[in-house]
Amino acid sequence: MEIDAAKQIGAGLATLGMIGAGIGVGNIFGSFLTGALRNPSAAASQIGNLFVGAALAEALGILSFVLGILLKYG
Amino acid sequence: MAVETDSAPIPSADPAADVTSAGAAAHGSTTAAEHGSGGLPQFQFEHWGGQIAYLLILFVILYVLMAKVFAPRMRRVLDERAATIADAITSAKALQAEADAQADAAKRALVEARAAAQRTAVEAGAKAAAAAQAQKAALEAELSAKQAEAEGRIRVARDAAMQQLTVVATDAAEAMLEKLTGAKAPRAAVAAAVKSQG
Amino acid sequence: MAANDPIHQFQIEKLVDFGVVNLPLFGRTELAFTNSHLAMTIAFAAVVVFMSLVTAKMQVVPGRLQTVGETLFGMIDNLASSIIGHEGRKFFPFVFTLFMFILAMNVLGLLLTFTVTSQLAITAVLGLMTIGLVIAIGFLRHGLGFFKLFVPSGVPIVLLPVIVLIEFVSFLLRPVTLALRLFGNMLGGHVALKVFAGFVVALGAMAANGGLGYFGIPGAALSLSMVVALTALECLVAFLQAFVFAVLTCIYLNDVVNLGHGH
Repeated sequence: MEIDAAKQIGAGLATLGMIGAGIGVGNIFGSFLTGALRNPSAAASQIGNLFVGAALAEALGILSFVLGILLKYG
Repeated sequence: MAVETDSAPIPSADPAADVTSAGAAAHGSTTAAEHGSGGLPQFQFEHWGGQIAYLLILFVILYVLMAKVFAPRMRRVLDERAATIADAITSAKALQAEADAQADAAKRALVEARAAAQRTAVEAGAKAAAAAQAQKAALEAELSAKQAEAEGRIRVARDAAMQQLTVVATDAAEAMLEKLTGAKAPRAAVAAAVKSQG
Repeated sequence: MAANDPIHQFQIEKLVDFGVVNLPLFGRTELAFTNSHLAMTIAFAAVVVFMSLVTAKMQVVPGRLQTVGETLFGMIDNLASSIIGHEGRKFFPFVFTLFMFILAMNVLGLLLTFTVTSQLAITAVLGLMTIGLVIAIGFLRHGLGFFKLFVPSGVPIVLLPVIVLIEFVSFLLRPVTLALRLFGNMLGGHVALKVFAGFVVALGAMAANGGLGYFGIPGAALSLSMVVALTALECLVAFLQAFVFAVLTCIYLNDVVNLGHGH
């Protein structure tokens, strides 16, 4: 059962990787908002870039989440 | 802890059984398929082949439908709309130009009319002035004619009066001579003398 | 426990069984019409029906449904032509098919059917298909010049091996991240939904026992509102992941279509 416990703890630790993704995504949207408030006319054209950036940043967090799920259920 | 050390050797002897029992413990009641390969249903590889093949078939059919049917239809309507909008803009521009031309023409007509009116007014003024001039001239001519006539009459009257005066003067001189001298002077000589005195 | 198990929703169930074969690459393979196949069929049919309805009576002045279709169409069309350039129209059907199919599977999986895009097999195939197309176009257009993709211009010669290695690894990671992003987002969202929904049931059951259990009622209500909010968020995510997949497909295609003079 120690292996099982270690797996549970490891899964919990793995999901900590999502902290980074949270910081990253928050940073992206915050920076976007800063820029958009400075120059609102250019904001609409950058929505696509915004979501791509958010998705790229989130992907790494998702990676850790998947690892956590794998550890817990795999 | 004691329980775990007791039970530990049994799973470690058979790792596959450990995974299975762990899976069973985590899931409680599970299907037989779940016991096959780990807990996560996504990693039951016996289902991969069927799904992948089906996905590829559906994707290819959908791609062909999109590329051959739906996208061209959409594209045609979008192009048609773009063409319609472009046409409408062109015709609107033409209308605008036409309206501008008409406004120009109206402005020109207005200017012309104004000029014509001005010309007419000037002409009328000139005509009136000429008529007045003519009337004035006629009046003046008439007046001068009357004046000349009157002057003529005056001259005739004066001449007549002068004639009369000479006669009277001659008469008076004859009479004075007669009274002074007692002799009767010839009439012609008296008249000549009066005439030479003016 | 099984009813509350957040992973159980991803279990593939056989609806019609055709037996088992052994394939060289996949090993033991079940031939069956499963709930996954059914959901894929529904998503496929939904896309086809939607596109047929939109394009059946196309008018220059669009109706309501046509506006929705044209918005989706115009969005991906703009994306393809703004990222890839004038050749974007050539790749538009592929990107649009990917987008519509993933969108249909995401949204229907959230609201109605089994979530096909939470199956790693599906997302991996979609990612590999995209990157396979990228590699195929790269080799067809540029031959061995395709490898210039890994050599960015203007890099000092000393750093070149490191940069090339990094570029190569990041290229190899592209299908992995494509597949895992979609898979992880769908998996994570649905697990979170199931967990909060499970709280509602568990706390409700606690409250049914009376006594201190009544304190479970506000918790259950909170969980229920959480489920509603999460469902709204997942609707956004379902759309966003399809969109991001399309955007990244365009970016990766642009790398090889405009190789050497794009950047």
